[in-house]
Amino acid sequence: MSQASPPTPRQRAERATTGLPPLLLAAERVASTVAQGVHGRRRVGPGETFWQYREYTASDPASSIDWRRSARSDRLFVRQTEWEAAQSVWLWRDGSPSMAWRSRPELPTKRERAELLVLALMSLMIRAGERVTLLGSGAAPSADRETLARMALLLERGGGTDDLPETRGVPRHGQVVLVGDFLAEPETVLERVRAFAGRAVGGQLVQVLDPAEEDLPYRGRVRFQGLEGEGSWLAPRAESLRSAYDTRMTAHREGLTAAAQRVGWQVTRHRTDCAPETALLALHAALAARPGR
Amino acid sequence: MWSLGAFAFANPWVLVALAALPALWWLLRATPPAAQRVSFPAVRLLLGLTPREETAARTPWWLLALRLLIAALLITGLAGPVMHPAGTIHGSGPLVMVVDDGWGAGAAWPDTQRSMRAWLDRAERAGKRVVLLTTAPDRPNAFPAPTRPLRVANARERVNALTPHPWPRDLDAAAEAVAGLELAGSATAVWFTDGLAAPGARQLAERLQRLGGLTAVHPAAARTAAIALPPDPATPELAVPVRRAAAGGEWTATVEALDAEGRVVGTATATFAPDQKAAEAAFDLPLSLRNRVARVRLAKARHAGAVALLDERWSRRRVGLPSAGDDGRPLLSPDYYLARAFSPFAEIARAPLDELLARELSLLALADRGTIPDARRETLTQWVRDGGVLVRFAGPRMAAALREGTTAQRDASPLLPVPLRRGGRELGGAMSWDDPARIGGFPAVGPLAGLPVPEGVRVHKQVLAQPGPELDAHTWARLEDGTPLVTGAERGDGWVVLVHTTAEASWSDLALSGTFVRILRRLTQLGAGVSDTGDRPLPPQRLLDGFGELMAAGGAARALPADPDAAPAVGPAHPPGLYGRGGERRAHNLAPRVADLAPLTDLPGGVTVQAPDSRPETPIGPWLLAAALALWLVDLGLALALRGMLRARGAATAAVVLAAAVVGAAVPVSQARAQDGDADAFARKAALATRLAYVETGVARVDRTTRAGLAELSRVLGRRTSVEPEPPMAADPASDPLVVFPMLYWAITPEQPTLSARAAENLTRFLRSGGTLVIDLREAGAGHGATADGTRGNETLRRLTREIPIPPLRRVGAEHVLTKTFYLLDTFPGRTTGGEVWVENTELTGGEVASVIIGANDWAGAWAVDDAGNRMHAVVPGGSRQREMAYRVGVNLVMYALTGTYKADQVHVPAILERLGQ
Repeated sequence: MSQASPPTPRQRAERATTGLPPLLLAAERVASTVAQGVHGRRRVGPGETFWQYREYTASDPASSIDWRRSARSDRLFVRQTEWEAAQSVWLWRDGSPSMAWRSRPELPTKRERAELLVLALMSLMIRAGERVTLLGSGAAPSADRETLARMALLLERGGGTDDLPETRGVPRHGQVVLVGDFLAEPETVLERVRAFAGRAVGGQLVQVLDPAEEDLPYRGRVRFQGLEGEGSWLAPRAESLRSAYDTRMTAHREGLTAAAQRVGWQVTRHRTDCAPETALLALHAALAARPGR
Repeated sequence: MWSLGAFAFANPWVLVALAALPALWWLLRATPPAAQRVSFPAVRLLLGLTPREETAARTPWWLLALRLLIAALLITGLAGPVMHPAGTIHGSGPLVMVVDDGWGAGAAWPDTQRSMRAWLDRAERAGKRVVLLTTAPDRPNAFPAPTRPLRVANARERVNALTPHPWPRDLDAAAEAVAGLELAGSATAVWFTDGLAAPGARQLAERLQRLGGLTAVHPAAARTAAIALPPDPATPELAVPVRRAAAGGEWTATVEALDAEGRVVGTATATFAPDQKAAEAAFDLPLSLRNRVARVRLAKARHAGAVALLDERWSRRRVGLPSAGDDGRPLLSPDYYLARAFSPFAEIARAPLDELLARELSLLALADRGTIPDARRETLTQWVRDGGVLVRFAGPRMAAALREGTTAQRDASPLLPVPLRRGGRELGGAMSWDDPARIGGFPAVGPLAGLPVPEGVRVHKQVLAQPGPELDAHTWARLEDGTPLVTGAERGDGWVVLVHTTAEASWSDLALSGTFVRILRRLTQLGAGVSDTGDRPLPPQRLLDGFGELMAAGGAARALPADPDAAPAVGPAHPPGLYGRGGERRAHNLAPRVADLAPLTDLPGGVTVQAPDSRPETPIGPWLLAAALALWLVDLGLALALRGMLRARGAATAAVVLAAAVVGAAVPVSQARAQDGDADAFARKAALATRLAYVETGVARVDRTTRAGLAELSRVLGRRTSVEPEPPMAADPASDPLVVFPMLYWAITPEQPTLSARAAENLTRFLRSGGTLVIDLREAGAGHGATADGTRGNETLRRLTREIPIPPLRRVGAEHVLTKTFYLLDTFPGRTTGGEVWVENTELTGGEVASVIIGANDWAGAWAVDDAGNRMHAVVPGGSRQREMAYRVGVNLVMYALTGTYKADQVHVPAILERLGQ
């Protein structure tokens, strides 16, 4: 097929973005099942919703006096509105090799589910008028029309393969959503989380796990191979390890939850065989309940 | 070799490993199976986890059983099992194989050959050499001679070329030959007998046993030969006596009667009662079919003794006796005597004369008619002229008619052979002085020649013939004083015969004697146009081969003497068959000479008697190993599946690949056997277009070169001449009809095996029917020297053409027509130069075109061009000129074979020109 001139960058970008629809569509679909709205920040600031009346001081401009309230008493009052500012959310998903795994071919890999959740949440945020960006991508939070496509492209390109996110790039009082499997030692997670919390960054942890990682459905003589170089373990009879593994997994989860709650973060758990809408709903509700300090 | 029932093992010590199988089972069971590999991200949580009870998973039992089966198959396969083992040969000397290839061997010949091959396999395994001895002579005045110790490959060739002969064996000479053998070490002897007793069998067996041990391979009693004797020609019905060698239980033999073309005309059964060795099969055939029977044979028996050939002596003619009303006094009526005389060999038809003439008769006997009415006379004359034999007898009525002068006297009447005198004469009566005359003799002229003169026949009264110049020529029997007793003359296609006395006993005793029957029999045979054979010996026409089939005569058969009672014994000089010249046939049968069959029981003690091995021993080791391999592939697939290394997609393709591998290993390579085409299809393909043909030597590279050479020569001919041959064909002289080719090219190589008798015969027939055989010795410097040249090419040529009558040869000179049939040539180069070309000396043999051309320069090598168009062989000394000359030689040869010697007529051109005045 012949072309008159080489494609412009915009055309190229648009063509590139047309390859993204499946994920975007899925994300949009998921997001559209969840209600959205702009939420107040419970402090004084520019906005539309009435917040409080304050006494008139000499530094206020004369036009800001609210005459209706002032007429009811003999002092002068200024009307103040609630600060309705868009929130900036930094999202991150775990790109390490242990995420690109699924136990059954009909399930999505954990990474796919994580990306879906991230994008859906971004879509919700943008609909709600808030600014989003990917943590570690270096882009400023934005909420325009092409942000979602750009974020989807960034996700597609891969990116960080670390188990845990880096802490730079998030200003004070930002929000962070971390989606991953967090199978590393709870102490390392806690240390990272503390680094965030020390800068007054609020956050959510979403642990995405495969049902096989929770149930251990194997039998017989199995050699379990780690995906990130942890080594392997030979189980002579896999079904006999189930109960012990279950204990360990529960302990790990509780450690994670405790570590997060110590700094005021929340942990949401999700299995890849469950529908992503449930997780999204929980996440959105959690984000909405914490408007920031 | 250790044998166990139907199996034997070449390396039995390997079977000891089977004892290790239980240990293998225990080991496999104790070894935990290979672990399934699973990638698991949360392995950190699993590290260090050990369950309380450590019972490892085990390999499933069916996988264990499969692996044990593989091990067992492997061990058994390596032990070299052999099915139907054939035992070993003891002794240090060679194996002596004595083969009965007389007439009786044809009955069970395939079994015998299979058995011989099995013994050769055994000899090959034991690394022995083989001495081969056949007990029937090949040629006249030849004695069975043992070969020197041969290698098994050569012996196999010879064994494959053996065929049974249709004459009896010569066991005495074979015993002498065995006595003359000098062998190193003790030799095991095997005698493949045909199961029939013969003089000298015991002696032969003893001598063979003395060599070092004898095994006699004896076909089962049901398979030994049974013979069919020719029926008695004197009996009216065709009853074939059948004999068998061993008197066993009840047995029914089917006898078939075949006509001259080989079609079955009738069948009959002969039932042998238990313990009986003789039976008879009676045919119930109408006369016309009975006369068509040319041979009878036992159905399903394929040897020369089962065929009895019939000739003219067995065909019954139909003779007509006109009945003139019934007679109350049989002993006085001539018809009675005639009927009695004809009945042994002819069928008698009695009817009024008109009806008889309408039927098919060989002979019509008229007893004493006086005058024949005119109307009858016409029809009778016509009948005789059309080929009938009319035999008239004299009598009182004829004498009376003569006296009255109503019978023609001067001219030869159409119904009398000679003119007759008015009166008869009476001898030895009351009123004469003479004694009754005796029969003087039967002159050489006429069909009655050679009959013995009877002593006691007296002729009292007879009619006389007019003396004349031709009387002697027509007299067939004379009295003592010279007067004719029987005269006969040809009339058109038929004969008129007159016996000058009566057909009953009133005028002579002839009707009471045996000579009467003989005379009448000869006269009956006259009707078929059988001329007297005289004293000339009868050359062979068609001969039986060892399998009871009739073939054209060839080989070393000699002529039979003329006297049927002095027939010589059946042997290589006189094989059984049909002898005679032209239309006459005399049958020379084997069966009457070997009629007393007896089974061979007279063997010395210590001789092992065996039945022929009907099944060759088959090594099944490779099959077991192949099965083990296939199962191992299956096991591999199963192990992979159990470890989970096969994904869903991969499992399907792996299963397909596995199945293909298993199937490919199990299906044996079917030998693409070249189908023997129909001889008709071959002949049609060969004859419908001009083709150059070459004799298939069996040596692949030579055949390839020849074929390529002839193909290129065909193309050259198509371009340069008006001959447009089709691509060349290979002809196997043993099986293909060669006579459809005008020219046959034969490249002589030392590796070509000796021609079988059939091949030699076909080539002989080819030469005799006018084909041209071009023989190429393919050797520089060889030529058919007048002195016995020892070159390899000559030796091979001599060996290969031993059975073929190569005519006397002469060198091709400068004036020979071969130098000028198309191109003008001085020499005949091929791939080499310098060899001479020899052709048949047509002046000596009286032909026109030479039937044999022998050259020594490899012509086909110079012509040969491969598929890419490159010349296959280089010419020596070289040059494209020499190759061009070689093509010209080829063109000349083909033109010579196709067009003959018309170019030689150039010799007359000067004379023709002179006559035309130029």
